[in-house]
Amino acid sequence: MGIFDQQNLDTFVQQLVNGLTLGSLYALIAVGYTVVYGILQLINFAHGEIFMIGAFGALSTSLVLFRGQTALWVLPFMIIGAIIASVGTAVLMERFAYRPLRHAPRLAPLITAIGISVFLQELVRLNYNHVPFTSWNPFNLPDAKSRIPFPQIDVVTGPAFQIGGVTIQRSAIFTIGALLMCAALLWYFINRTKTGRGMQAVSQDADTARLMGINVDRIIVVAFAHGAVLAGIAGVAQGLQNNNIDFRMGFLAGLKAFTAAVLGGIGNIQGAVVGGLVLGVAEGMATQYIPGQFGGSPWKDVWAFVLLILVLVFRPQGLLGAKAVDRA
Amino acid sequence: MIRIPNIPESVVVKHGPKAWPLGLAGAGLLIIGSLLSWSFDPQVLGDLSISFNPGALQIMAIAQSVLAIILLLADKGPLTSFGEWADTALALRALATWALLFMALVLVAITVEAGGLVNIEPGGWISFLGAVLVFASSRLVLPRETRDLGHARLPDWSEILVIVILMAAILFGTAFALGLTDAWEFVLFLMVVTGVLITGVRAGLLTWLGHVTTRHKRVLMLAAFAVAFLFPFTQNGSDANMSIASQVLIFAAAAMGLNIVVGLAGLLDLGYIAFLGAGAYVGATMSTSAFATIGWKPPFIVVMLVGGCVSATLGLIIGAPTLRVSGDYLAIVTLGFGEIFRLTMFNLDGNNGPNLTHGPNGVPAIPDLTFGSFNFGDTHTLLGIPLARFSNYYFLLLLLIAFIILVFSRLNNSRIGRGWVAIREDEKAAEAMGVNVFGLKILAFVVGAFLAGLAGTIKAHQDVSVTPDQYIFLESAFLLAAIVLGGMGTVAGVLIGAVILKLLPEKLRFFADYRLLLFGLLLVLMMRFRPEGLVASRRRQLEFHEEDEELAVRVEGDIAEVVI
Amino acid sequence: MTVTAEAVGAKAPTGVPLLQAEGVIMRFGGLTAVNNVTMSVSEGEIVGLIGPNGAGKTTFFNCLTGMYKPTEGHVRLSGVELPPKPRAVVKAGMARTFQNIRLFANMTALENVMVGRYCRTSSGAFTSIVHGPKFRREEAETRERAQELLDFVGLGTSTDHLARNMPYGNQRRLEIARALATDPKLILLDEPTAGMNPLETRQASDLIFKIRDSGLAVVVIEHDMRFIFNLCDRVLCLVRGETLVEGTPDEVQSDPRVIEAYIGTGTDDDDEAGDTP
Ligand SMILES: Nc1ncnc2c1ncn2[C@@H]1O[C@H](COP(=O)(O)OP(=O)(O)O)[C@@H](O)[C@H]1O
Ligand SMILES: [Mg+2]
Repeated sequence: MGIFDQQNLDTFVQQLVNGLTLGSLYALIAVGYTVVYGILQLINFAHGEIFMIGAFGALSTSLVLFRGQTALWVLPFMIIGAIIASVGTAVLMERFAYRPLRHAPRLAPLITAIGISVFLQELVRLNYNHVPFTSWNPFNLPDAKSRIPFPQIDVVTGPAFQIGGVTIQRSAIFTIGALLMCAALLWYFINRTKTGRGMQAVSQDADTARLMGINVDRIIVVAFAHGAVLAGIAGVAQGLQNNNIDFRMGFLAGLKAFTAAVLGGIGNIQGAVVGGLVLGVAEGMATQYIPGQFGGSPWKDVWAFVLLILVLVFRPQGLLGAKAVDRA
Repeated sequence: MIRIPNIPESVVVKHGPKAWPLGLAGAGLLIIGSLLSWSFDPQVLGDLSISFNPGALQIMAIAQSVLAIILLLADKGPLTSFGEWADTALALRALATWALLFMALVLVAITVEAGGLVNIEPGGWISFLGAVLVFASSRLVLPRETRDLGHARLPDWSEILVIVILMAAILFGTAFALGLTDAWEFVLFLMVVTGVLITGVRAGLLTWLGHVTTRHKRVLMLAAFAVAFLFPFTQNGSDANMSIASQVLIFAAAAMGLNIVVGLAGLLDLGYIAFLGAGAYVGATMSTSAFATIGWKPPFIVVMLVGGCVSATLGLIIGAPTLRVSGDYLAIVTLGFGEIFRLTMFNLDGNNGPNLTHGPNGVPAIPDLTFGSFNFGDTHTLLGIPLARFSNYYFLLLLLIAFIILVFSRLNNSRIGRGWVAIREDEKAAEAMGVNVFGLKILAFVVGAFLAGLAGTIKAHQDVSVTPDQYIFLESAFLLAAIVLGGMGTVAGVLIGAVILKLLPEKLRFFADYRLLLFGLLLVLMMRFRPEGLVASRRRQLEFHEEDEELAVRVEGDIAEVVI
Repeated sequence: MTVTAEAVGAKAPTGVPLLQAEGVIMRFGGLTAVNNVTMSVSEGEIVGLIGPNGAGKTTFFNCLTGMYKPTEGHVRLSGVELPPKPRAVVKAGMARTFQNIRLFANMTALENVMVGRYCRTSSGAFTSIVHGPKFRREEAETRERAQELLDFVGLGTSTDHLARNMPYGNQRRLEIARALATDPKLILLDEPTAGMNPLETRQASDLIFKIRDSGLAVVVIEHDMRFIFNLCDRVLCLVRGETLVEGTPDEVQSDPRVIEAYIGTGTDDDDEAGDTP
């Protein structure tokens, strides 16, 4: 059996496609880590929950406004719902949890982030299907303590495409498409708009930017909001791909996306996209090609974490970044 | 501590004199009311329905009024010499406010539990009226100048006596609190404790106590251990509370090990639970359980050392490459390591790798420890008081904690401890001054892991079974939270944090569902309002308040610190 | 008292200079911050390093002390090549202070100096935990020596003050005491009088003489010409990373190229208290 025989090639391409799909998802989330880091040098560990909230926002929109209909025209509304939910959460989080800690030691925002993560997960788990401290459930939402089915929208889900021996899910196309579009829009925003250029200025030197009349607080909010928009869209993509969502989905996805952001050089937006794709493909390949007892899906996450550690230890500046030195 | 009342002369004449009789009358009413029946329904909140047989809540009310009377008499009357030092006016205000809240909540509780306002008997209303009067009087009492209580010194023997009394109060209070089975009672008790503590702070007594305890550190340590040792004897052989207590101790032991890593060396470890887990798995697989996978069965003391060493080795393996990574990244690396540990334990079931851990089912049926003929599962009687299974583990854990405290504070007060502070302050400068930065970080990591490993081996036997889902990320977060809540870098702080995080959820089962939600919120609020924790190490307090010049000047005298 | 009883005892063979830096080059990407600088310092000598801002003086110090790994070049102390590791350098007998003070702000003066003793003591975890005899002895010695050094630099009464609460001038002295605590043969001072008033500046030069008299060699970076010319035995002028002139203070002072370098860049500012790189 030669290395290039058709079946091997198909398997390889299949894993490449799977990896790129997964990677697109990571990339969408990773941008959020990177934008905020670029401006605040803060790692917003609660960003994974923003992604989760986005998915729930989309689900709620669908259930409350459209009784779970699956027509394609519902999708844009779901995306808008996801974005509203995640951006709202992110902005509140910035305003009330992170902003007071701007000058605190770095430990403080990190622990705050853990607190926010747990809080948001629990909020969704306990209170998704009723108003807090009551049993009132005006919209008849499902219980979020276990997995909830996500509406399977026409056209973007359904029978997969078959190209040769390779299967391509419709939702995969949606995810990759979403990434391409978001990346393009983001690029335009950062390089071509006034606010975007303000963001660049703040990330280079916040104090000078302030002196030049840039409203740094506003820029920071904008950065959080941007990350949240992409995370919200990622939440929808994840729902379409997995057919269901749950309150825990942000933890692992968030960690992997963070790895992607570091891999691409944290603070670097193109880097986050590249890092996400690289990580996704690596994960796909690892699942397929690590042989023996330690391969396959039970060990999949272990290898992902090993990769995470290797990247952080040996390439903390990322694939694209240069090593920083502390000046004496 | 000189407070000059900024109140016009006319007011002094008008309100001053009325406050005192009013307050005494109120306190009297509160006592009388509490001796009468509060509630029609004997089923709720313990039993508050029998006159002249006060229930727990009524005793609390009486205690508060006695305290109020003491404060009033210190303001004017036989105890004025005490009043010269303590700020009785402010203290009375705090006490009265909390007492009023307490009475109000009691009435609410009776109404809710018994189903209607009609269930409140006249005694309840009388007590409430008394609380209102005390409150009113406290608003009229005028603040005065006092001498600085921080400088007050009593003869040594009486200061030691104060410590002993304090410890006895803690022992009694803890036993009392654990005996409260009703959640309302428990919450109300916590309210009283909080109220009394705040009263103490306002009076300046707590600052004074702080000075007293630093003056007599050894006495305090001994007394604390004596109290901890005596605690099982207050339980009359009941093992229910001892089960909670030994859980708290395991948790505290692990948290204290983590405090070496986080509090002293300043390294954020989010996967620390894995070290406890490594110890527990060693304990489980080397036990005589039918499911144990390792054939070697040495005495437990050897197993403990093996557990500690396996843990320490893991610490070394993960630490050596990763400790060059700084700050936030280290936190993520350790988190990843913790997850790898859990997943590996989950997977090593014979299908996905060798069978070491029985995968998700874990190692069940771990037998109790035996030292010679002493079996930890049996009930032993000492001084006529039966001590059951969990009491046995409790004593063993107490020894372990004593050891951990020794390691912690000795390391902290050594060349190594100074090196850690220097690293926390400025790593580059420390290195340029010849401090072995990398070595010290590794040391913290390895020592922390070793101690957790020791605790883990005991935990395996105490819990009877070891499964991977006991070692999830959230548990690491809890350990970290105990440190953050209690106070980074102090022993007392971590103990308090551990007690709060483990004991409250056990006692307040009615919010069991909201436990994690509140936990998350608590972390956020602590970081916002008191990042250095409840019992902060002075130095940590300074580190979290870089811009507070006044604080730096104020605590300068205390900084040559020895952590309790 | 002598500050370096041990250091003086370990004299290098005569003829070999104490510090020899040869052809040190430090590049940051395209920028060559230090270009082929050679310097040697003999025992008991005070050498001045001058040059306009950005000339590469601090970077040169960083190369000497192992905080940067020089792109090229060698650094030898008493004839032994130094690896680019700060800890090894300190151990070999070269200590430094920083241009922008880097004290351990939340430690007391005494504790700061005690940290300096770290590399000359060796109590490990075990003896620290059991309070073994070695621990007791070293701890007492460390404390005593630290107090001596505080007295030496004139901070004998500030022992228990927090570093962050101390006045600026005292912080500079404390940094010197901390460096002296490592028992160096050679001490590198990076702008020790930056931001000081004339009185403090004079006290600083007295202190430097005192350090020299106790048997140490000193290399000092300074902007204040008067200060440097009356202090130093020899002066090196760096411009854009290269040695422009080297010689006695008089020679350097009268060299037209030095004057031009300073006037040309217009950076003869004595006043840069908050200067951070
Ligand atoms: N870590 C670094 N990375 C890049 N450039 C540096 C670094 N350290 C110093 N430089 C540059 O080297 C030059 C010399 O700086 P420095 O040694 O601080 O000058 P000075 O003589 O004022 O002490 C400056 O242009 C500075 O920007
Ligand atoms: Mg400089």
